[in-house]
Amino acid sequence: MLNILVCVKQIPDVDLVKMDPETGNLIRTGVPTLTNPLDLNALEAAVQLKERYGGAITLITMGPPMAESTLRECLAVGGDEAVLITGRPFGGADTLSTSYTIVKAAERFGPFDLIFCGKESLDGATGQMASQLAERFDAAQISCCLSIEEVKDGRIRATRALESGRELVEAKLPCLVTVEKDNYYGRLPNLEAYLAAKKAPIVTCTENNIEGLDLQKIGVPGSGTIVPKIYPPELPEPGQMIRTGSVKTDVGRLLELLAEKGTL
Amino acid sequence: MNKNDYKNMWVYIEHDGKTAAPVGLELCCEVRKLCDRTGDRLYAVVIGALPETELEKVKACGVDGFILVSGTGYDFFNTDAWANAFTVLSRKYNPSAIFVGGTVDGRDFAPRFAVQLETGCTSDAMELDWDPETGDIQFIEPAVGGKIMAVITVPVLRPQVGTIRPGTFPYAPVGAKERVEVIEERIDFDPAAIRCHPVGFIPDENDPELDIAHADCIVCVGNGLKDGEHLERYRTLARLLGGKLGCTRPLYDRGILPYKLQIGQSGVMVKPKLYISFGVSGAVNHTAGVDAGLFIAVDKNPNAQIFNYCDYGIVGDMDEVCDELIARLRAGDGKLI
Repeated sequence: MLNILVCVKQIPDVDLVKMDPETGNLIRTGVPTLTNPLDLNALEAAVQLKERYGGAITLITMGPPMAESTLRECLAVGGDEAVLITGRPFGGADTLSTSYTIVKAAERFGPFDLIFCGKESLDGATGQMASQLAERFDAAQISCCLSIEEVKDGRIRATRALESGRELVEAKLPCLVTVEKDNYYGRLPNLEAYLAAKKAPIVTCTENNIEGLDLQKIGVPGSGTIVPKIYPPELPEPGQMIRTGSVKTDVGRLLELLAEKGTL
Repeated sequence: MNKNDYKNMWVYIEHDGKTAAPVGLELCCEVRKLCDRTGDRLYAVVIGALPETELEKVKACGVDGFILVSGTGYDFFNTDAWANAFTVLSRKYNPSAIFVGGTVDGRDFAPRFAVQLETGCTSDAMELDWDPETGDIQFIEPAVGGKIMAVITVPVLRPQVGTIRPGTFPYAPVGAKERVEVIEERIDFDPAAIRCHPVGFIPDENDPELDIAHADCIVCVGNGLKDGEHLERYRTLARLLGGKLGCTRPLYDRGILPYKLQIGQSGVMVKPKLYISFGVSGAVNHTAGVDAGLFIAVDKNPNAQIFNYCDYGIVGDMDEVCDELIARLRAGDGKLI
């Protein structure tokens, strides 16, 4: 029986986020949200382990109250318990304080044998949450996991992707695993699970009910990094556009230009 | 914490016991410039033995000193011993900043020691700047899918930790300093405390189609591609041009092409003589990875950012343009590269 934690995140659809040219702030209002796609690969890996070895999956996320919908989506795929960490004081957190907060909130559901994370989020995309969670859980770490071969006798064997090949590793439990999407495509929930997840209870953690929470280590005060400024990327002057009226003549003109340049 | 108590900048030199990975040298070259402004000394941190000839290469990047770490626990890379070594060193010497190459290993252990030290960690900066007023490094990086650039700082805590992707900065050694300090540190890590062990390795098959880093010509397909069935014509075009096929991140995310073909900051950095993009929007994360002799862009959106990076642009249906190019090349209109 494995006790598994899966960390998930609700993110804005980054394709639709715009920057206010006047204030330089990001406009998120009305932007649709989704569950970070790589987290669904991590969840799938966890669900497969639960099916193979038995056990329980706790889902955890931090975000505004609407992040509950991400938890329900994941519950429908496979999860026994869902934890939402929410509250103003948690806002503006970087990975240093987010990792602290998640580990503190998860404590009462642990200890965990395995912790699963997506490789990175599509919005923040620092890719460093997993390592920092592993450190705070005092867990081993297998990043870029392609497939899990076995969990046995307090150890996990898995194959991971390196720059030049695939590495088979063996780690002690507890272990945090970040999952590549190649072999763990997220499954669709069946109708029954979907309906059950809609009604499932969600545990809400706030700054007031997480035991031993140090308020100086959460949100902005607990963050190591700040973002003092954002600005649109400086774009080079556009190149020469070829507009002759048809694809045929456009391509012809391009080939002429290339011939002049001596590239062809 | 008084920031002024923290001085000098460190670059981690990743190596396999034989050669130093290029990213460490690239970072030394870039951080050298930063140190020249801040007045900090630049130290290269090497864990485990590295041949003298390789240390000479590091020296040529203008470092002021080395910190050479030996001891137990470093027979193979493991996050536990590496994170511990940096924590121990940092507590002893109080560096202002630590830079680590954003490789698989670097991205594993750097955020971990940042937590051990309870300090701020950034990843994937594309530019490094320095604010003399605050004394803080500015890590500048694309955010929100490349729509904006964000300046990130570590305003209170030290050291400032940053992982930076290979190929972000040029390798441009300024030459060795006359005197280079060498600090030798023995930091033993109990091998029994290493929690993750490699037990096997299968090198990737040497598929020349997947080696795009050195290709002279690249046909790059972006998210404008309707589906995998439309891909073949781009392969054909690449073949006719004597080049290779590459892609942007969404095509990898969509499961259409493998990660090894993903061009950009978080994929492969390329330097082809000729680069033709089809259906690529031009996010900074992608264009940062392209250093092309001649850049041609094709996209149906006339306002696409990609046209700001190209030499020549064609607005139109990517498939039609590709088909026409293939037809003309087959008809002998171009003898290529």
